Amino acid sequence: MKELKLILMGFGAVGKGVAESISIKRNNIKDKFGIDFKLVAVGDSSSSAISANGLDEKLLIETKEKKGTLDKYPEFGSNINGEAVLDKVDYDLLVEATPTNIENGEPAKSLTIKAFNAGKDVVTSNKGHLALFFSEMIEIANQNNVEFKYEASVGGAMPIINFAEKTLPSSKIFSIIGILNGTTNYILSRMTIEGSSYKNTLEESQQLGIAETDPTQDVEGIDAACKTVILANSLLGIPATYSDVEVEGISKITSEAIGLAKKEGYFIKLIAEVSKHALKVSPRLIKKNSPYAIEGTLNMATLKTDLADEVTVVGKGAGSIETASAMLTDIINIIKIKYQK
Amino acid sequence: MKMNLVLELQDVPGQLVSVLDPISGLGTNLVTVIHQRDSKNEKGMIPVQITIEGERDNLKQVIQKLTDMNITILEKDGVIVKEKIITILIGHVIDRDIKDTMDQINLLEGISVVGLDVKLEEELESSAMIVIESDAGKKDMVLNKVQEIATYKDLLVVNEI
Repeated sequence: MKELKLILMGFGAVGKGVAESISIKRNNIKDKFGIDFKLVAVGDSSSSAISANGLDEKLLIETKEKKGTLDKYPEFGSNINGEAVLDKVDYDLLVEATPTNIENGEPAKSLTIKAFNAGKDVVTSNKGHLALFFSEMIEIANQNNVEFKYEASVGGAMPIINFAEKTLPSSKIFSIIGILNGTTNYILSRMTIEGSSYKNTLEESQQLGIAETDPTQDVEGIDAACKTVILANSLLGIPATYSDVEVEGISKITSEAIGLAKKEGYFIKLIAEVSKHALKVSPRLIKKNSPYAIEGTLNMATLKTDLADEVTVVGKGAGSIETASAMLTDIINIIKIKYQK
Repeated sequence: MKMNLVLELQDVPGQLVSVLDPISGLGTNLVTVIHQRDSKNEKGMIPVQITIEGERDNLKQVIQKLTDMNITILEKDGVIVKEKIITILIGHVIDRDIKDTMDQINLLEGISVVGLDVKLEEELESSAMIVIESDAGKKDMVLNKVQEIATYKDLLVVNEI
């Protein structure tokens, strides 16, 4: 049976989700595609576990959760970290799940370029390097004739990039309007249902682990703006970068404003708009019975097309296993392209 | 020929009759009336659908008569004549001269503010919902104007999609 040797970089919520999904789906993928996954290295910012014969996914998660760092992995734990991990073992595909960095796109950018230059395929959940250097990343991937997939970077488990490319290739997409951030959707939904203030709802969301300790990227619309850039480039062919997006977050939204909107049959949602005329993330009024009226941490997007008219997708925008599902889909799509000829 | 109209009427006794009277007087026939008292809009007005039949010139006279009577025609033969635009402003809406904000919008041709609802918050900031009625096709112009005012007065605008 053919082997697919994977290196997984980044072992936070998404990275662990990838390890877990691989362990859940390994036999299924063997049966269906005739490919045996072998996780040959897992690394994060401080350490790694490396073994050419493959690591045990469950033991990796247990080591990280109980002992704190990957170098405690029995026998194969090491203090090698970052890019150096990619030099230590032979691999076919890099699964890149490091945290998003909107300042300079690192470490995702360097890790990805290093893999490309070594002729390896890359699957990522990261938004930073894509939002800042989309064209550059695609160009280097093409120069090296490797596959580069990033479904998980937009909308978590909600299918959108593969959906538009694989399921709607007949139609030209004019615009995409959607809710691309689950945290803000959760906060606005709670404010709408309970009439609570922004400050109190944010605190509650932080206690529940839905909002991060530093919620800036979510509540100020930065995360949704990154996704706007990725959709603009990948699906609408607009060569935009992060600074081209007009961004307004939800931190100024008051419960009074939500109350006024509600009285007229409207909700306030953080909406991302992707079209040739506008790249914009802003709080908007949406009708309560429209497809935009989704609650909780869900994401949605309506694609306006020439032939298919409007098509709407909905799904979980975050979560460890949910995001990992999109990455696993990307890996399987690469298997279909490259390993099943 | 037939013509369908959606009119906006006040919810007071006699209002419907006063509108229907001129229709027969001008040589046109009333075919249907749909009058739903429970579907009041934000101005407390009721949209009433009517279908009338008659010669082209007579139908024109009915339109003229309704206009003279200051009756708002929302739709004519399925085409929207008046659009309703809802927008919310957040910030120091009152302190930054709310009357001036309304006046600036009202100055636009074919545009009028028909509703205003303001809620105050503890820190003196407020949220205001403005309902604007505009001639068809002028929505972008209205939204641009609202954005311009909001930028100048440092207010956050929340518009419809």
